[in-house]
Amino acid sequence: MDIRKLFVKKENEKAKPAQVIVNMVLALAAIYLFFMLSLKRLDMKLDFSLLWKFRIRYLQGYKTTVMLSIVSLILSLVIGFISAIGSRSNILPISYISRIYVQFIRGTPMIMQVYLFFYIVGTAWGISNRFLAGVLILSIFEGAYISEIFRGGIESIDGTQLEAAKAIGLEPGQTMRLVILPQIIKRTLPSLAGQFASIIKDSSLLSLISVIELTQTSREVSATNFAVFEVYMFLGLLYLTLTFPISMFTKYLEKRFSYENRT
Amino acid sequence: MKIELKSVTKSFSDRNEVLRDITVEEDFGALAIIGPSGSGKSTLLRILGGLILPTSGEVIIDGQRLQFEEKYLIGHRRNVGFVFQAKGLFNHLTGRQNITMPLIHVHGYGKKEADDVADMLLERFGLMNDADKLPAELSGGQQQRIAIARAVATRPKLLLLDEPTSALDPELTNEVLDMIKELRNEGLNIILVTHEMGFAKKACDKIFFLYEGRLLERGSSYEFFSSPKTPQSAAFLSKILEWNV
Repeated sequence: MDIRKLFVKKENEKAKPAQVIVNMVLALAAIYLFFMLSLKRLDMKLDFSLLWKFRIRYLQGYKTTVMLSIVSLILSLVIGFISAIGSRSNILPISYISRIYVQFIRGTPMIMQVYLFFYIVGTAWGISNRFLAGVLILSIFEGAYISEIFRGGIESIDGTQLEAAKAIGLEPGQTMRLVILPQIIKRTLPSLAGQFASIIKDSSLLSLISVIELTQTSREVSATNFAVFEVYMFLGLLYLTLTFPISMFTKYLEKRFSYENRT
Repeated sequence: MKIELKSVTKSFSDRNEVLRDITVEEDFGALAIIGPSGSGKSTLLRILGGLILPTSGEVIIDGQRLQFEEKYLIGHRRNVGFVFQAKGLFNHLTGRQNITMPLIHVHGYGKKEADDVADMLLERFGLMNDADKLPAELSGGQQQRIAIARAVATRPKLLLLDEPTSALDPELTNEVLDMIKELRNEGLNIILVTHEMGFAKKACDKIFFLYEGRLLERGSSYEFFSSPKTPQSAAFLSKILEWNV
């Protein structure tokens, strides 16, 4: 038997189930070995049992991360939508504010925005609840990216669709509700799902202002037991339990809608 | 039906004048607007449909002068039907939903009433099998017929069509033209931009011939096709009819 057949799939064909299993195990083993080798060179032994007694705090942190992400997703969808519409507005101040917002947020690191919003804007306007501040900062940050996703969706709508909406006598609000929204929701859903994974990861930066989510919990745990490696490997694993299903879901959506959009 | 145009001009900022000083008065049942590409045909049709504004001039349809402000024009658009060259159906809605959407959301029909009107039209024009398909699943000819059904579902007095068959394969052209002819026979007033000279000649009583933004010739279509009066229209006709069998 040709040994190559086990590792190389045919051009334009899907890998066979046996190939998938063998090669996936192989790839994971290679990565595992690399880390084990690194640990050996450092002469370290990992002991994950050290984490067990912090399980309640981990559960709390996990819950906070999930809550932060969900609330921020909803709020950033609203902000992103308003900004996308705003940037296309004929009223120039609204259009410019929307564009500057998107440029500024996308063009600067989130760590700087976290400090800026929390210590200056947050303090000035009396937002002292850290969870609330965290949600606001994260939503404002992600809203700019979602705004671009929506803008791309709106611009991808064929001009004739809008002209037809006008021709049948729809008012601008109706055109948005009955024509533009239903069309961009389908088209932007995969990107939005992907953005949700980003929100979950980006929420880790809120540990900087001591929102006790997963990352902050891990920092606190490692400060107590000094098991830095175990703590951060476990932290990565926890984030993956959230982002991996979303990434699978995104792939599924992409596939589904790429077929539906064919003409 | 009667239309009057008084010194209608249109220029887009990035181009020269698309329509130059068009003044005309015409009684018609079916009016074909013909002319070479870029002569301003579609622009004129869109002005008549209230989709774009002329740079200057007046448009009077059956004694009613179009007021070029959005509020009035929305009302005007609701009273005329408009069919685009292609892709005019909403691609997230099925054939039937495309017909019922304006009825429900613009003309205040109930869902049941709107469905009845849609089914009647779909039945009549042999589109029942396509009613629940999305536009992407329909042939170009079926799409155009549903677009026409949507435009006439609201019972407009005037139907405007912008090259309704020019994106279609030749064998699908006739099913669309037959439908337009049938509607005309029922007394619907029609203005269409077209390259189908056979249809313009046989099914339309009047002709506008546009050339570089000017209305060079107008009047009875029979006369136009038997004896074009300007060198440009004669040249256009001989060119477009060159390969006719």
